[in-house]
Amino acid sequence: MEIIFKIIGVGLVTCIAAMMLKPVRSDFAMLVTVVGGVIILVMILSQLSSAINMIKLVASKTGVNSSLLSIIFKIIGIGYLTEFSASMCADAGSAGLGDKVLLGGKIVILVMSLPIVTNILSIVMELLPT
Amino acid sequence: MGVEIIFKIAAIGLLTAVVSQVLKQTGKEEIGTFATLAGLIIVIVMVMSLIGDLFGSIKTMFDFG
Repeated sequence: MEIIFKIIGVGLVTCIAAMMLKPVRSDFAMLVTVVGGVIILVMILSQLSSAINMIKLVASKTGVNSSLLSIIFKIIGIGYLTEFSASMCADAGSAGLGDKVLLGGKIVILVMSLPIVTNILSIVMELLPT
Repeated sequence: MGVEIIFKIAAIGLLTAVVSQVLKQTGKEEIGTFATLAGLIIVIVMVMSLIGDLFGSIKTMFDFG
């Protein structure tokens, strides 16, 4: 619970530092915001690992195929990474490039989820009366 | 991993700004450009190592090979 105060503190400090740097050197202000974002994300990741361990435990108890679970985790990771880099691009003043990064993430997720779709299709084909 | 790296980067930024101003006043603009470039490169290396750490931890957490 205390971590939210830490995250807020890091965010405010980054904001103020970037504000101070912007009139002097705007490129350094961008880098400071990037570093603040990275620090916040690392804090969140340490929280997230416990949730992921819980999901893995439940999956192993219920006997879900571990390759499917791995694909889902990869998709979540791609989502977080692309979101992070897109907002970084938007902070740096090129929001269009960030949109393209998001598009790339979506396409990679689509390609990665194709095995699941083919799995479902093959199950449906088995169910259909021939 | 903490807030100190933000202060570090802000300090480097302010310092290089001051140094380049002083060098510009004394008429050595080329050296001022190199000083700002050096500061930028130092900060970019720091930021790159941080982003590499982040990507590595995401890689291990989300089961990427």
